[in-house]
Amino acid sequence: MKKLEQYLSHDYAFVILLAVAAAAVVGATSMYFTNGVGMTNEIFVAELFDIGKNTGDYSGAAAFSAGFLIARVLEGPLVGVLDIGGSLMTGVGVGIPALLIASGFTSLIESFPLALLTGGVIGFGLGVIIIAIRKIAPNAAPANATAIMIGAGNKTGEALGPLVLFSAVAYSIPAGIGAIAGALLFYKFKKPIVGGAILGAMAFAGILLLLGVGVGV
Amino acid sequence: MIVEVVLKSLVVGALGGAAIAAGAARMFYAPKLQGMGAFRTIGEMNACNGDPISHLSFGAGFYITSAAAVVGTGALTQDVLHRVLPNWTAAIVSLFTKDKTKRPFENIFLMMVVGAFVGAFVFVTLNTVSSLVPIQLSTIAKSILTPAANNMITIVMPLIFLWAAIDDGKITGSWAFALGGIMQMISGNALPGIIFGILIGSNAQEKGHKAKSTVILIAVVIALILAIAYFRGFHTKLITQFFGGAN
Repeated sequence: MKKLEQYLSHDYAFVILLAVAAAAVVGATSMYFTNGVGMTNEIFVAELFDIGKNTGDYSGAAAFSAGFLIARVLEGPLVGVLDIGGSLMTGVGVGIPALLIASGFTSLIESFPLALLTGGVIGFGLGVIIIAIRKIAPNAAPANATAIMIGAGNKTGEALGPLVLFSAVAYSIPAGIGAIAGALLFYKFKKPIVGGAILGAMAFAGILLLLGVGVGV
Repeated sequence: MIVEVVLKSLVVGALGGAAIAAGAARMFYAPKLQGMGAFRTIGEMNACNGDPISHLSFGAGFYITSAAAVVGTGALTQDVLHRVLPNWTAAIVSLFTKDKTKRPFENIFLMMVVGAFVGAFVFVTLNTVSSLVPIQLSTIAKSILTPAANNMITIVMPLIFLWAAIDDGKITGSWAFALGGIMQMISGNALPGIIFGILIGSNAQEKGHKAKSTVILIAVVIALILAIAYFRGFHTKLITQFFGGAN
């Protein structure tokens, strides 16, 4: 177990993980292309891809996604966290397929096994680039910057519970009461209050909805 | 057709689930290790802090909104891989880890194994039975969670990171202020700029502005910001607002 944990902590493990993740995301896009379901992205990005599918002009989807991909791949090794929203889901999942289909390599996306393979190869390449940037600029992130970011990151976590609570209160009275009760309960038992606020709001507003009394809003 | 979707979802979910859950676990060792996920995912997982019920309910809220989105559009939203998968995986891992030396979601291997199963489950269910979720319930979840998450990423996170940068000293603070403001102009979110500012500023504070690593960092960050500005069409906006342009 310790040994496996060590293997997964190496730089090359990141390259493999990124390759597998990219294979999955391009596979999901392939499924969306042929079966109409499964795109791992927002509705508006899927629509951007659909415009290409319907008109044959994929330049919108490709330009939108390529910008994210380049920015995130350069930023990832600097800060130590690769943003999978911009790089994987949008860049690799939408931009690369759009480019491939626009260039006439439709079968690479249409065929599910080929799509997995394509994604894997691209993810592997990106992983190598990212690790290479880390090796070339090894001291890019000084220890002090890390300490600042970890401290701030931990603090932001504490803000989500109250934010959900305010949001639930603003949404409706039943959801607000449920969120307050849930948050208080979780606070009393020293659990993260974000869980209590969501559960309480959903339970209260949901019960009203199921009973058919009140509109909940 | 449905068999085909189930089979493909199993493959995509298991592969993606394993890799991204492991990548999420590696984030908590960044920047020593290269992780993958998102800064907001770090914040949200820290908020749940290894408590299974909190991870489960946070993921469930977004699972419902994703189910609502996929009906009719076929788009799962980014939340499936950003939030549902890492948090549900963390919830299950925290149920059977006894290791008190680190938080449950910091076990890369366990996260990977459990992530494969969670991913397969999430993709298969969302892609097939998404129509079972009452539409009103998903509207409630969406209306509560989306504004909260937006406030988190657009206001609270930039604010706390900027405060941390200011506390570190004048040089870090100034860089974070300047780059944060510029990124807010270009992309509508100051956080990436503030992080660039912390990187450059604390490096300059430790080694000076003329040190090689500082110069390289500044050059890379400027190139990056220019690229983002170009792809978002910021240059046309800039020219219009200063010189009037065609309007």
